[in-house]
Amino acid sequence: MNDELMIDVRDLHHAYTHGGVVEPVLHGIGLHVQRGEFVVVMGPSGCGKTTLLNIIGLMLTPTRAETVRVAGCETLGLDEALRTRLRRDALGFVFQRFNLLRTISVRRNVALPLGLRGMAADGPVDDLLARVGLAGMAHKKPGQLSVGQQQRVAIARAVVGRPALLLADEPTGNLDSANAAAVLDLLSEVHRADGQTIVMITHNEQLAVQADRVLHMRDGRILD
Amino acid sequence: MFALAWANLMHHKLRSLLSALAVGIGIMLMLVSNGLATGSLAEVDQRMQSVDAELVILPAQDNIIFTGGAPFRRGHEQHLCQAADERGPLAAEVIPVFFGQVKMGGQQQRLFGVDPRQMAAFLGPRRVLAGKLFERAGAFCDRLRAGEAAAPSLSDPAYQAFIADGLELVIDQRLQRVGGYRLSDELQIMGQVFRIVGIIETGVAGRVFAPLQTLREIALAGEPSASMYFVRLRPGLDPVAAADFFQRGLGSDVRVELKSDYGRLLRESFAQVSLYLNASSGVALSACFLFILLTMYTTVIERTREIGILKSLGVGRGGLLRLSINEALLISLGGVAIGMVLAFLVRGVLLVYKPLLTVELAGRGLAAAVIVGVVGGVLSALYPGYRAARLDPAVALSAE
Ligand SMILES: Nc1ncnc2c1ncn2[C@@H]1O[C@H](COP(=O)(O)OP(=O)(O)O)[C@@H](O)[C@H]1O
Ligand SMILES: [Mg+2]
Repeated sequence: MNDELMIDVRDLHHAYTHGGVVEPVLHGIGLHVQRGEFVVVMGPSGCGKTTLLNIIGLMLTPTRAETVRVAGCETLGLDEALRTRLRRDALGFVFQRFNLLRTISVRRNVALPLGLRGMAADGPVDDLLARVGLAGMAHKKPGQLSVGQQQRVAIARAVVGRPALLLADEPTGNLDSANAAAVLDLLSEVHRADGQTIVMITHNEQLAVQADRVLHMRDGRILD
Repeated sequence: MFALAWANLMHHKLRSLLSALAVGIGIMLMLVSNGLATGSLAEVDQRMQSVDAELVILPAQDNIIFTGGAPFRRGHEQHLCQAADERGPLAAEVIPVFFGQVKMGGQQQRLFGVDPRQMAAFLGPRRVLAGKLFERAGAFCDRLRAGEAAAPSLSDPAYQAFIADGLELVIDQRLQRVGGYRLSDELQIMGQVFRIVGIIETGVAGRVFAPLQTLREIALAGEPSASMYFVRLRPGLDPVAAADFFQRGLGSDVRVELKSDYGRLLRESFAQVSLYLNASSGVALSACFLFILLTMYTTVIERTREIGILKSLGVGRGGLLRLSINEALLISLGGVAIGMVLAFLVRGVLLVYKPLLTVELAGRGLAAAVIVGVVGGVLSALYPGYRAARLDPAVALSAE
């Protein structure tokens, strides 16, 4: 065991079952990510990237694996309450569809992870909103923002609690190139300034250049 | 979680309002039907307590609310008057009451047939506001008592002349105001035309009084029957012991009760009706809370992805259940508030259109409404909350 590893996945298999049909998706994945690394995962649609990210993010339980250690914690066999705790305390997510809560304000969205940990505070939230260039938008509802702004709110929400690991699933997939570049700059900045460990899925070769390492996936396997 | 619950409700204002309104209507039904029952019973009890007596003698079998007829005979009255210990009769005054019915002020009233000479026991410190208390009827009763006037048969033309002096009514001020009555107004009761001769302060046992002897003549050809008795005891007697003594003498088809127990007896007599009332407002309320359940359930389906988001942020099963409960509680407590406002409105409307009804909306009923709201809210949130908590996070996130 190496505690420098943020992610230590070995021989990970996953299959979905729907309507009695078993569809194997991941075939013996091995993945090591160091603390402070910015890793990009690329691969064609349907190759299993999201499935892998969901397993690392404790949103999905794998069919079988030798080990799935995340943030220094073996997640195999963990009960739901502990998985929830780990998600809350150690992980941040950024999704292609932003996934902001539309009934509450931008500030409340960003403050949510802090509130859940019982550390509600406006100061860090406002600082962070200023940092992502949305200082004046705190009171608006997500629906009143442009898509680029929404994704920046989502990034602010993902990092506000200083999670050990940030997982981003095609965060630029719904953005035009200018907004995509801005979002990527933001992620790189968080990585550089805060030493944030990031695993990001993307289709876009150009976005991958900022990463420390690029992994290619195909048909449920990581290529060397 | 609370802010989020509130925000979610505000996002669907109309739906939240309708759910709260549904609960509000149920709560209003509960408050008004119970308030009407307890209010009316309390009012009747209060009026009965105003009589200057310690004991009430009632038929054993009867439900005292719907009691009718006059089961007591001369023998009962004699026993009550004559029962004595070594220091003399136990009763200082035996007050027979003969109940009739009269429609006044828009609803059926219990007509109290009372001996004009015993009106003081009913009046107590209250004042006569207008007219007199049975002046001519009093004389008529005295003549009957003295045996001077024997009743002609009903078919005899002389009967009208005989009974005429006895056809007097005394009413209380509340009924007078509600019905807009004035002195000398005439009313048909049991085939005879009575005249209002007196108006007394509200709070006396009956709203309408007629001379006991007149009612006995009309209804029972002068038979000295009674529907109940009040008994004022000789000063210094222990009412409980005296009640016991009378009870033993009168036998088991009579019940002798302390006047102070009358309210309890009323409520006991009403228990079956109130069971029905509670059951029907219970059914109405269950339907209302099913409405919340449906709303919450719809919400869970609609917000599947949002639930996925919350799970990705580390909200656990307990948190999602609490969210659901908070939302349902907000709706149901809003409903309780609406229900209270509606109940007070209904009471106001009733006060205008049915001024003789008393709707009691006070502490206990209102507290019960809050409890019903909280319990109903929590219960109706459990299943939807459970469904939300069980959703698979990854699947929930991929929902549309
Ligand atoms: N919840 C699911 N149930 C069944 N099959 C799924 C589910 N999610 C993804 N799949 C299937 O698994 C495969 C990999 O999907 P995914 O991990 O989303 O790939 P990617 O993110 O690389 O596009 C696809 O063939 C997809 O149809
Ligand atoms: Mg994907």
